[in-house]
Amino acid sequence: MISLKLIRLFILKNIRNEKFLTVLSIVGVALGIGLFIGVKVASDRALASFESDIRGLSQNTDYEVLDISGIDFNEHIYRDILDIEGNSYPILRVNGYLSAIQESISINGIDTVKAARLVQPAGRKAYDIEDFYKNLSSILITKGLSDKYSIKKGDIIECLVYDKKYSLKIAGILDSKTLPADAVIMDIGNFQEYFNRTGYLSRIDLTADEKTSREIRRILPPNLSIERKEELLKNRESVVTSFRYNLQFISLIAILVGIFLLYNTVFISVVKRRTEIGVLRGLGAGQKTVVTLFLVQGLIVGFVGSMLGIAVGQIAAYFSVLAVERTISTMYSTISISEYLITKGDALSALALGLLVSLIASAIPSYEASKIRPNESLKEGTFESKYKSCRKPFVFAGLSLILSGVVVSCLDYRYAPFDFPFLAYMGILFIILGFTLISPFYLSVILRIARKPAGRIFKATGRITFGDMKGNIYRFSVALMSVAISSALIIALLTLIFSFRHSLASWINRNIAADVYIKPASCTSNFCFYPLSDEVISLVKSFPEVAGVDKFRTLHLELFGRKVVAGFGDIAVQREFTRAGRNGERNRGLEYGKQVSISNYLSTKYGLKKGDVIALQTPEGKEKFTINDTFSSYSTTSGFIYMDRKWLREYWGLDDATQLAVYLKEGVDTGRFIQGLKQALSGKYALEIMNNNNLRKKVITIFNKTFSITYAIELISILVSLIGVLNTLLALVIERKREISIIRYLGGSWDQIKQMLVLSAGIVGIAGIVLGTVMGFLISVIFIQVINKISFGWEIHFKIPFLYLSIVVLVLFLTTLSAGLLPAKVARKIDPMRFISFE
Amino acid sequence: MIKLIDVHKYYGDTHVLKGINLDVEKGDFISITGSSGSGKSTLLNLIGGMDRPDRGSILVAGEDISSYKDEQLTLYRRERIGFIFQFFNLLPNITVFENVQMPLLLNSLEEEDRVSEYIKRVGLAGKEASYPYQLSGGEQQRVAVARALIHDPEIILADEPIGSLDSRTGIIIMDLIKQLAEETHKAVILVTHEHYLSNYAKREIKIKDGVLLQ
Ligand SMILES: Nc1ncnc2c1ncn2[C@@H]1O[C@H](COP(=O)(O)OP(=O)(O)O)[C@@H](O)[C@H]1O
Ligand SMILES: [Mg+2]
Repeated sequence: MISLKLIRLFILKNIRNEKFLTVLSIVGVALGIGLFIGVKVASDRALASFESDIRGLSQNTDYEVLDISGIDFNEHIYRDILDIEGNSYPILRVNGYLSAIQESISINGIDTVKAARLVQPAGRKAYDIEDFYKNLSSILITKGLSDKYSIKKGDIIECLVYDKKYSLKIAGILDSKTLPADAVIMDIGNFQEYFNRTGYLSRIDLTADEKTSREIRRILPPNLSIERKEELLKNRESVVTSFRYNLQFISLIAILVGIFLLYNTVFISVVKRRTEIGVLRGLGAGQKTVVTLFLVQGLIVGFVGSMLGIAVGQIAAYFSVLAVERTISTMYSTISISEYLITKGDALSALALGLLVSLIASAIPSYEASKIRPNESLKEGTFESKYKSCRKPFVFAGLSLILSGVVVSCLDYRYAPFDFPFLAYMGILFIILGFTLISPFYLSVILRIARKPAGRIFKATGRITFGDMKGNIYRFSVALMSVAISSALIIALLTLIFSFRHSLASWINRNIAADVYIKPASCTSNFCFYPLSDEVISLVKSFPEVAGVDKFRTLHLELFGRKVVAGFGDIAVQREFTRAGRNGERNRGLEYGKQVSISNYLSTKYGLKKGDVIALQTPEGKEKFTINDTFSSYSTTSGFIYMDRKWLREYWGLDDATQLAVYLKEGVDTGRFIQGLKQALSGKYALEIMNNNNLRKKVITIFNKTFSITYAIELISILVSLIGVLNTLLALVIERKREISIIRYLGGSWDQIKQMLVLSAGIVGIAGIVLGTVMGFLISVIFIQVINKISFGWEIHFKIPFLYLSIVVLVLFLTTLSAGLLPAKVARKIDPMRFISFE
Repeated sequence: MIKLIDVHKYYGDTHVLKGINLDVEKGDFISITGSSGSGKSTLLNLIGGMDRPDRGSILVAGEDISSYKDEQLTLYRRERIGFIFQFFNLLPNITVFENVQMPLLLNSLEEEDRVSEYIKRVGLAGKEASYPYQLSGGEQQRVAVARALIHDPEIILADEPIGSLDSRTGIIIMDLIKQLAEETHKAVILVTHEHYLSNYAKREIKIKDGVLLQ
């Protein structure tokens, strides 16, 4: 074992000398680990909230009876089920929106007598039983909600439910650890009466075994099914997976950069301290001791970085939770995540990850260090000369890696073997690694080309700089790669975002064509599943300004065992009133045969093409539909099937609508029409009525909000990689303190030294940006064509934002140059005496 | 105590040591003189277990260290050898005290009193907390001498110990080495290209082109 004192003398004291490098790598590790853990916490909490949503009300039930289309069903089946299994609990639920505090709640009507243990009061006088049963509008809320918004017993709150506004009276506060914070409890009888849902149930929870469940399945009508809770949970989880993996991959990039920073720092220590290590070996320090010492250096940085990372992670978790909540709520269904605190377990795994990462990062330099011979002196071959012979194999290996990266991504594009684009992400890593291997060769070519002109322009400084760079090709390639990677990331992400916006805009143009859109105000998602009252529809139709109404209905549907969204529109109305419909650009011929359009996500995922036939489960049994077309849908990322309303009537027996698209007659003032409509509906209904323009704006805002976390994470990754650039350039100076001292002794002025440093930073910058552009372009193609397609199925047309990119590239270049100036400052502090007298 | 039998060393194609035979006894003080490039350092490195010969054997207390594995060599250096170099080779980021203590630490010992005592013996009392760059060359070499002796090795190997000092300081350092070596009964092998230093030695050996001339 090596003594602590040895660690203190050889490592800790040295860390103090390399404060800046060390701090940079600590920050790098902290950001990487923080992001990773933040995203993990957010998605874990989302899953937990799904779980408590599915299990929450009745913890130990294991089956649930529900409608296959996700709508409420007739309650009479409950009697029959009760005959088979007594442990069954009817539930009627709906999402409500508290507009005053902008919070969604889920209102659950339950049989409070049967599920009495669920409604444990928080403290003695926590609620008023009488009031709860007698008053129709009475609800019980969780302590979580009550504390968060200081809502007290006896308060009356306004709540948007279905397409109306209701007052709810707080009859009490529940103390339940198992209930999700956003759950609100009502007596089921009151619920049915108050919200006018008499005779309906949303689901029946059951505590039953296999056999009983089979028995129940036998008596269920075709529109109902009995499902294991576990299965439902799994289904829901898949919703979060791709979102989670994508965020986690980006934070993985930050971790990679962190590894790189740490690697660099330890490596610099080793290179700089070659002679010292030799002396130590000479004094009788074994190889193991040397390895341990440098691993410990890495671990110390990793430990401090991880601890800081846990703090960063807490902040990241808070914002990721908000973002995940928002994304899932708009894209899938409303959830509310109230927990965002990092648990002890999360903190431990962050620490473990950080330590692992630092072990990985310091392994290679530590090994290098242990190979230093006891009588190592400056005349021994240095790192550079040792690897000179490797350049050709490096180029070869690099090219093969890039090629296999491309091939692997193409494979993913063609066959998409997994739910998540693992292959494409692997391809990106391969490409980055491949370019890294090529970079020394690439830099040497650049140096050869630029040597003469630089000599002419910069005279002696130029010649010295080029000689210096040629002698330290590997060190400079590392700096070059950090520039290249950060510019590649920036270019790829900017291109992705730009292309996405562009495609989204043209999608909006094509699809948001009606003049006015109406949906229940309680619905905060892209799709609403609670129908509008008939009165609303007939009232809208009765306005003389209205030319046509496209009644749109969404349902849940099962396709290959997964829940997807089905949308039913009025194709005839679209054909009559929209240009796209008239020209047959959209849903052409959909109203004729038994046809459907499916979103690209589904066609990618299940390999479905135009002309294929799919069987859909309807209340009338399985029905076959031919795929008429595939389309790109930005409103959901889990699959979308579109068909004509007449099938809704025929197979689902429904003729209602969850959203309305209204076409006005020529020359009608939309603003005035909306005004009139609002007046006619006011007091009775709570609806969100928007004109075409507002809806377009809202859609774009939603997307921006949804992606804000992704942008933030990307921004941080880019920041970390810029730190990497700074770190390597700085490392170069520290490493060459001796050379700089000698140049000083030979009469070099500070200005000359500064010039040299900035010149080498400039060369590294330009060469890095050029390489990064090539790499970034490749990566953006993979992002857009493969990763996006597999994870979201969004159709994005490749579009390069030349203007933005040139600005960004310029900024990046200036950053690199100034990164050359900062080390120049450090160089100035070098005391030539001290460094020369030591070798 | 140490016996070199027909030791050869090559660096690539250059045959640096060509059949060295040498006996070193306890308490011996041997000087090996020769011009630059004659193989003095190479020889010293072999004896010190920094490197292995390509042929021949080096017997230390009856064991052939040329067949030692890396770990055994490390242990050998750590316990039995004290090195003094031309360029001092102190660790720059730690104090005088800590530099002297280093061999003890590597042997998992601390013995701070002993460290203070040796610093006093080389005449650096009061400089314990200084850093190497705050010392003159002579003072730095004193630290190195203390470091070479602190763990009580059997052999002191000195490679041009005064090569980078002025002659007055050089003599002082040489006197110090001789005095301390005698007091502690160490064997010393001194390598130098300056013939006048052989006065310090009990035995003088010349080396030329990798061959010893007794
Ligand atoms: N690591 C090495 N690699 C190659 N040649 C070496 C190495 N070390 C020493 N030599 C060569 O071996 C010969 C003897 O070197 P050295 O023992 O250092 O001589 P001295 O110490 O007597 O000046 C010289 O010709 C030198 O060039
Ligand atoms: Mg020599």
